[in-house]
Amino acid sequence: MIKYKQTTFASAIVILFGIILFYVGTDGFRAYTAESARLYQLMEQNPAFPDVTLEDSNGKIYPISELKDKYLFITFMYTSCGTVCPILEMNMGQVYEQLPEEYIGDEIVFLSISFDIERDDPATLAQYKEHFYQADGKTWRMARIPNEDELSNLLNEFGVIVIPDGTGNFAHNSAFYFVDRNGFLIEVMDYTEIDGAAKTVLEILEREKGE
Amino acid sequence: MKHLIYGLLIFMVMALPPVSNLLESIMIVHMHMQMPILVVSGFIMGRFFQIYFPVFFNKWNENGFPGILLFCIIMLYWMLPRTMDEALTVQSVQIFKFISLPFLAGIPLRDSWGKLSSNAKNIIIAVFTFVFIVMGIIYIFSPEQICNNYLIVEQITLGWGFITMAICMMIYLAYKTSINPEEYE
Repeated sequence: MIKYKQTTFASAIVILFGIILFYVGTDGFRAYTAESARLYQLMEQNPAFPDVTLEDSNGKIYPISELKDKYLFITFMYTSCGTVCPILEMNMGQVYEQLPEEYIGDEIVFLSISFDIERDDPATLAQYKEHFYQADGKTWRMARIPNEDELSNLLNEFGVIVIPDGTGNFAHNSAFYFVDRNGFLIEVMDYTEIDGAAKTVLEILEREKGE
Repeated sequence: MKHLIYGLLIFMVMALPPVSNLLESIMIVHMHMQMPILVVSGFIMGRFFQIYFPVFFNKWNENGFPGILLFCIIMLYWMLPRTMDEALTVQSVQIFKFISLPFLAGIPLRDSWGKLSSNAKNIIIAVFTFVFIVMGIIYIFSPEQICNNYLIVEQITLGWGFITMAICMMIYLAYKTSINPEEYE
């Protein structure tokens, strides 16, 4: 045993190093993928929604500040997407359903932002909107950000990574983004946890009403 | 001395920005080619350090256990999906990759492998086989994009790469247990 005293000591050092390495590398064993690390960081930072101009499915062009004073429930998508986006939007519709009608439109606006500025013109967005009966173009709007710099700035601020795959599609991360009345991102939620997201949103709305 | 030169040469070629950018642009090449080659460069340099610092290795890695442990930790660390993403987006992580793989994985592996008993070697290979199968299953069947910088199709390719490596190691282990080399001497 004495013979291996030094190697035992060295092993202990190595294990300690390993624990520290994994602890630092995963934000304290919380984030094992870059995506979870991104969400974790976003919730800490609460970035502000940058100034952008929207062009929605009605062909209306307006600055995001027009929606100020309302909570925003946001997703990022593109209409030609055959994989995640339909599910993302469908789940968004279910969150919409679960919220009491009194809040919809007055207190909270749903907003689907397309990052495919080439193809998602107002007509395409309007057509896509038809697949989701809750999307009335007013309380749930679908829009693109025609200015490329504004779009990439927003995607960057909110940590949305969009990679064109060369065949007209995009690989992208998906989540529900919840922005408060002052334009600060306060929640990033798992888009597969519909009930959880609806509950979180409702809690925030009700808490404010109670105040 | 020649070990150090050869090892450093490989290391420096790998560190050239065009080379590393090219290798990192393909997910499976990033994990199953660039990272192992970095380990190999350290493995080659390892001989130099063994010759010039024999006391250090004999004292602190006498039975090879701390070294192989360090090797395993570094390898597992670089199998986290997050580290592979951050190696592309965070510069300090990228630098750590180029330091840790040769110097904290390659060199300890060189020194430890010879010191381990044949059983210990088989256990290490079996552990990596198991880990590779698990990683393969995760990468192949995950419906979501695990790494933000790579497409899902690349992710599936990487998963099959893991499974292929695991199969190779299983064949090796089967060969080791079923064939007695002395019969052929």
